Amino acid sequence: MSPVTAALLFPFAGAILLLAIPENRTDIVRRVAAIFTFFPLAIAVTLFFLYDHARGGYQWLQKIPWIPSIGVHFQVGLDGINMVLLLLHAICGFTGVLISYRIQERVKEYYIFYLLLIGGVSGVFVSLDLFFFYLFYEMAVIPMFPLIGIWGSGDKLYATMKLTLYLTAGAVLALVGLLLVYLISGIWSFDLIELQRYLSQNPIPAHIQTFLFPFLLVGFGVIAPMWPFHSWSPIGHAAAPSAVSMLHAGVLMKLGSYAILRIGIQLLPEGAYAWMPLVAGLCTMNIIYGGFVAMAQKDVKFIIGYSSSSHMGYVLLGLACLNPVSLNGAVMLMFAHGIMTSLAFATVGHIYDQTHTRVISEWGGLSKRVPFIASMFAIAALASSGLPGFGNFVAELLVFFGSWDVYRWPSLAAVFGIVITAFYMLRAVRTGFFGPMNPRWVHLEDAHTPFERLPYVILVAALVLVGCWPGPLLNMIGGSIETILDHLAPLRSVARL
Amino acid sequence: MMPSHFFYLLPEIWVGALALLILLLDLRWKGRGHTKLGLMAAIGLLPVLPLLCMQRQLDTLELLHGMYRIDSAALLFKGIFIITSLLVILMTREISKTPAAAQQAHGEFYLLILSATLGMMFVASAADFLMLFIALELITISFYVMTAYLKTDLRSLEAGIKYLILGSIASACFLYGVAFVYGSSGSIRFVEIRQFLQETPFSAGCLFGLFLILGGILFKTAGVPFQLWTPDVYEGAPTSVTAFLSVGSKSAGFLVALRVFHELFISSSADWAPVLVWVAGLTILYGNLGAIPQKNIKRLLGYSSIGHAGYLLIGLACPSSLGSTAMVFYLAGYLVTNLAVFLVVTVFSSHTGSDEIKNYAGLSKRSPLLAMVMFIALLSLAGVPPLAGFIGKFMLLLGALSQGHLTLAIIGAVAVVISLYYYLIVVKVMYVDRAEDSSPVPVSLPMRLALLFCLLGILGIGIWQEPFLSLSFAAVKGLF
Repeated sequence: MSPVTAALLFPFAGAILLLAIPENRTDIVRRVAAIFTFFPLAIAVTLFFLYDHARGGYQWLQKIPWIPSIGVHFQVGLDGINMVLLLLHAICGFTGVLISYRIQERVKEYYIFYLLLIGGVSGVFVSLDLFFFYLFYEMAVIPMFPLIGIWGSGDKLYATMKLTLYLTAGAVLALVGLLLVYLISGIWSFDLIELQRYLSQNPIPAHIQTFLFPFLLVGFGVIAPMWPFHSWSPIGHAAAPSAVSMLHAGVLMKLGSYAILRIGIQLLPEGAYAWMPLVAGLCTMNIIYGGFVAMAQKDVKFIIGYSSSSHMGYVLLGLACLNPVSLNGAVMLMFAHGIMTSLAFATVGHIYDQTHTRVISEWGGLSKRVPFIASMFAIAALASSGLPGFGNFVAELLVFFGSWDVYRWPSLAAVFGIVITAFYMLRAVRTGFFGPMNPRWVHLEDAHTPFERLPYVILVAALVLVGCWPGPLLNMIGGSIETILDHLAPLRSVARL
Repeated sequence: MMPSHFFYLLPEIWVGALALLILLLDLRWKGRGHTKLGLMAAIGLLPVLPLLCMQRQLDTLELLHGMYRIDSAALLFKGIFIITSLLVILMTREISKTPAAAQQAHGEFYLLILSATLGMMFVASAADFLMLFIALELITISFYVMTAYLKTDLRSLEAGIKYLILGSIASACFLYGVAFVYGSSGSIRFVEIRQFLQETPFSAGCLFGLFLILGGILFKTAGVPFQLWTPDVYEGAPTSVTAFLSVGSKSAGFLVALRVFHELFISSSADWAPVLVWVAGLTILYGNLGAIPQKNIKRLLGYSSIGHAGYLLIGLACPSSLGSTAMVFYLAGYLVTNLAVFLVVTVFSSHTGSDEIKNYAGLSKRSPLLAMVMFIALLSLAGVPPLAGFIGKFMLLLGALSQGHLTLAIIGAVAVVISLYYYLIVVKVMYVDRAEDSSPVPVSLPMRLALLFCLLGILGIGIWQEPFLSLSFAAVKGLF
């Protein structure tokens, strides 16, 4: 069995194992969940260093014929792009389990749904077959419903229904697009590698690609979240329990941009060329509009939620440029933003569980009581505003380098977006953690024990490591981006550059 | 009759004999032994399944002077009917144990279930229109009695009357259509009609007859525009009868549709396919939109079963082996999924006496097993992977797109979202809302086994699709 399959199966095995554990043994339940998310992390880190750059391409491939009559194979494998995202997912998943120790109600059910969510998301990242890609994609959406509906806060029922329906609507639209690509290719195979090879030699006619691309763009764009389909996301982030917000903003939103890159751009390059200018325009709306809305928020989780949808605008801008520099930047930003936003949600969750309010003006001076958490939040805020030394800075810079010549005005708007981010994030740090101490919060507890601090340490370490030493990550991404662009190369000379 | 013919008729003879045995024993025990009779009927049906497996063969076999035939589609559907009726018998037994129903419960109810099952088996093997019509009437008349069975319950009586009047009209419509087909082609035998149509591509009489037959089929399967009876009858009829209607009767209807459209009239598919595309789209929308405001779980399932009929009609509207394979596969998934839901509804309502969705509050605490099965089954109905309903919808959408019906595929895809909305409301009530009465809901052993069987079916068909897919493919191969 390929180690990738193992990493995929661990969370599901954990969920099944949890079914057998009695409900009142919460200590065992938590340990099982931690172990079954730690192994995928260990595998992801190991594979990251074992990846053979000289050989490139997909490695640790495993292919099992699943439904031969319609050409479905269970196929997994990693190249530079999904390797990075799997690593991000493994980090967020494991730290999420650690953060969840504060969940006290219906613990067993919580971890079962959580592990199913993790398994579904891993499946999307490692699958190299359109059928399984879609299968895991939809599987990742559904556990969110009970996770937010039962353990969430605020207007959770509205939020969870809106989220599920939006994401499913996007998914089924994308499914229609995937089926059309499958049928038009005419080789009766859902195997992504095979389809890619076939379509690069026998491309679908340009006008049909232009017709098909919106299905994938909008379908996967909903989860990305591309403006104007983003409205489910801040509400969902705000209502979800902390660990789910982390996964949700940190990893789930990346599924959309990953799918657009992996399937949309790779299989329908000409369609991508036709539609990407529109994406550049829409992602400007993401950045600017999302930023301004974040500015107006009073609830910290809403601030981070809108800032996430604003930052995903940079990722989409990177994808829209279709050149190596900005695509590298986009993938790296997916990683950096995932870690950063997980860190932010984790800290907010820590405080909210004690204060039961997230209205930033009601906090105030918290750094005196919770210096560790406060500094973690400040780090997240600085990383989010693009301070050098953190991964986000490198990634955003790359996106801008790539986009400057292609989309001048969207790039200018995007650079201005950083100022907006800095404004609301730093203001949140100031109002929430500095200034006069609100006497209501004198009983607030910091994260004291090493166990409580561990998830934060992992996240900050990852963030700083890729910020100061982006080489390995960029090498990893760059090799695979080149392969994608090789397919586009003949087109690019015709199209624009 | 040759001994080999006797062997191939054995399942039908067995079920018929079982029904008569039940009748005699019920008379002998003066209506007091109904739980025993239920168990007998259920166990008595079991040997039919291996018998059907033993009859598997490659070629179509004609019996009784060409009136009856055994092919792989017939065998597969007989298996579906037997499993359905087995589970329905178990549900009936569960309902009749409650004090309210015990006074009205009679052993003859099992007789009716078995006679309807026998009718369905005849439908599966009928090789001419006369046999087919008689078989359909056997089903329908059994159902007339069963829907109105709760004699003191006004809703049940209303359901019975509605089903009787509309059902008679539909039967008449079907028969009238058969008359037209006979008038034009000069035969009631399927083989000869098929041959006639291949030689005469366009025959106005046959087509007119076909659409009248379609009317009768749409009534059986609850498709637009003959779907109006569904929610009322589903709500009023005893729960086990509702389950039987929504799975058994519907499968029988679709089997007839498959035989008539994909076997007999395949050569004139250009004339009827566009009509079916419209009917399928409208049925999907009607069922799924109508389900949104429902407060009663049986009404909700009534509307949702209209929606599923619409999905199945997609398969019918695609005159290719992909379309009919998808339809048969979807039916198999629908069978286990919908029966799982009805098992939960049966257990819940016979314990609490209520079918209102709001009373399901806190079911996850009152009975984690029921809540989990319901959750998974509802997701499967909505078409969430990796469950049985997903792969069925996947194949149907693939079929629709392969025939170029993009709009129909998009309607089907959007309806997934709509259906997810109303199914998730039920999930929310079960998992999030707090119960007023938090006493546990006990689940008896036969019900546990039945639930487990359905759960395994949902997951099995959803995860390891290949064997079921090749089974459905083998079943429809003989049609073309």
